Amino acid sequence: MAAWTCRHLLYRGARVLAGRTGAVAAADSCLFQSVRTVKTTTWWEEHLTEDNKSYMRKSLGEEYNRQIAAKLHPLKDEPWPRQEWTKGLVAVKLGMAPVWTKTGERHVVTMLQVQDCHVLNYLSKEEYDGHTAALMVGGKNASPFYKTDEEMEMFRLAGVPPKQKVTTFKVSDNAIIKPGTPLYAAHFRPGQYVDVTAKTIGKGFQGVMKRYGFKGQPASHGQTKTHRRPGASGPGGDPAKVFKGKKMPGMMGNVFDTAHGLKVWRVNTRYNVIYVHGSVPGHKNCLLKVRDTNLPTYVEKNINPPFPTFFCEEDEQLPEDLYDEDLFIHTQPSLTL
Amino acid sequence: MACRTVCQLLQRRLASSAASVRLSAAEERGRRSAVFSREQARQRSLYPRTEKIEVTLQIPGLQGTLLVMNKGLSTPHSCARHLTEWYVTSSALALVDGKPWSLHQPLTQSCSLSLLAFKDTDPLLVNQAYWRSCAALLGQVLQDAFKEDFSVELLRLPEVLVTSGAFCCDVVLDPQLDAWNPSEESLRSLTRGAQQLIHRDLPWEPLEVAPPVALEVFSHSSDTHLRCVFIHVYGTHTHSCLTSYLSLRCGDHVLLSGGPLVARTGLCSQYEVTAIHRLGEGKWGLHRRAQGLSLPLQQQAHHTVWRKLRSRAEKLVEVPTGSTNEAISDTLTPPSAPEQTPPQQ
Repeated sequence: MAAWTCRHLLYRGARVLAGRTGAVAAADSCLFQSVRTVKTTTWWEEHLTEDNKSYMRKSLGEEYNRQIAAKLHPLKDEPWPRQEWTKGLVAVKLGMAPVWTKTGERHVVTMLQVQDCHVLNYLSKEEYDGHTAALMVGGKNASPFYKTDEEMEMFRLAGVPPKQKVTTFKVSDNAIIKPGTPLYAAHFRPGQYVDVTAKTIGKGFQGVMKRYGFKGQPASHGQTKTHRRPGASGPGGDPAKVFKGKKMPGMMGNVFDTAHGLKVWRVNTRYNVIYVHGSVPGHKNCLLKVRDTNLPTYVEKNINPPFPTFFCEEDEQLPEDLYDEDLFIHTQPSLTL
Repeated sequence: MACRTVCQLLQRRLASSAASVRLSAAEERGRRSAVFSREQARQRSLYPRTEKIEVTLQIPGLQGTLLVMNKGLSTPHSCARHLTEWYVTSSALALVDGKPWSLHQPLTQSCSLSLLAFKDTDPLLVNQAYWRSCAALLGQVLQDAFKEDFSVELLRLPEVLVTSGAFCCDVVLDPQLDAWNPSEESLRSLTRGAQQLIHRDLPWEPLEVAPPVALEVFSHSSDTHLRCVFIHVYGTHTHSCLTSYLSLRCGDHVLLSGGPLVARTGLCSQYEVTAIHRLGEGKWGLHRRAQGLSLPLQQQAHHTVWRKLRSRAEKLVEVPTGSTNEAISDTLTPPSAPEQTPPQQ
């Protein structure tokens, strides 16, 4: 239930004129100023009837579908020119699977699905940090009932449903994309290299052996109560201190980590899945930031791709699966005569 | 019969006041407030000795509780103060012997009392009273909002259902403003004015006034208002010839209302002026309908739900005109046949 409360602010008012006269005006000497505020502690469905609740849920779903459908075929009078831009997406980690190359080597890939990814906002160089322009991208629809009005403002301006994860990609100055444009997995093609950033699985407070891979001590042969301890903590008498940054036990995981230079092996356009090489940080169904790689070896290859950036409104019909040239397509016969 | 006399009195007053000096809006309000206070004091002085009345409570959980209160002085609000703080803050309307009663109106005889809140199982009466109060607040905000050079005449506060989407207030603005269309920014500044009134938590003081007093309160104003005063709620009741009118004061604004309003402005929390539509040329100029949306303090909506309601409140609300205007024009225009009945003055 809502209630009126009083917020007491420390008010640095005019100096107290107590010296001149005995009585001082209350307003001048008042150090505390009460500002009446309204405290709301309610969940969104508290005051709604049952049929109103179901109506709100249903109408939200319909509104999302309408918004996404409206963005699929943007109007012809798009004033924003389509330029090449450093690609970036928000994806969901599905799981891992094995792949084989044509020479018979086995690798593992992680499948990343792009769900409801839309461009939210474009920030020019001046607005962002003065050096590079930025593009805000959001992925995976979420409920507006658990977002504040200020968060919803950006989504409302772009005309898209509210997103679970909103990330910022640094892009080149001419990479202006209209807010509300949907992004698909086909933005990345097999053969490109990506960096994937996500929050690692939280392990809690962990010891030094799990956290930093210390060797520990032997299990037997006279060790007294010392099997997984860090051992020595530094050089000794000369510095006579423990250096800052000494590896010690502490909270492990639940931090953002990036896996660099992952090759894209395959892209499925029907389900919007990208198959990237190796493992990526994060648990299953977590949201990741997928970006063109920064590694110098692969940056050149990514700048001049052999194909243009993919936009939905082009008439080209992409095949359902795009495979890398080295990848063995498992549905085809292995031996051809 | 009494109505006809009153309306004839109106005609004569109109003729006489046409030549009188027109006060500024602020002075006019001050004068009305002074007349209201005088009438309030006079009605209170009708009970010089404190007499006791017995008030039986009909509140769930407190059925049959007997309160001994003062006649002509105690209000349902003071009865609630004998209970707990929750009753004081959450009561919006009272039911005295089954009749809707303003919370700050004094009780004149032994009766049964029940206090209504917004969270009751059947909040129909409270909701209607709340809608009426929000419309009255809107009228007050509009009168305060414009500069002194422009006149704002309140036409009426039409009785709309809560389910229609928005409460309305029909106004006629100064002819200089005929070309003015409110922008988003002006609607927001009107909302700010309303929020300030809500923040001040002013009570709506009710007063049952006899027709001559009502005339005195609203005399010395322009023609429009004098006529509108009786249209704006009592249009439907002209033929029933009421002996008293319910007049309410909020701050220094006095208005007439067709039914009881809620206790105080602080009961509203979310309040927004959503639109001002043009209704077209009418008898007194360009009629405009100002619409708004509001929710009480105990029933605040999430911003997503509020936005949905607001988008509906922006659409024009059709008010069934019915027989109100025709009835008034019949009684206001003098009958063609010469007056047989001598005027009673």
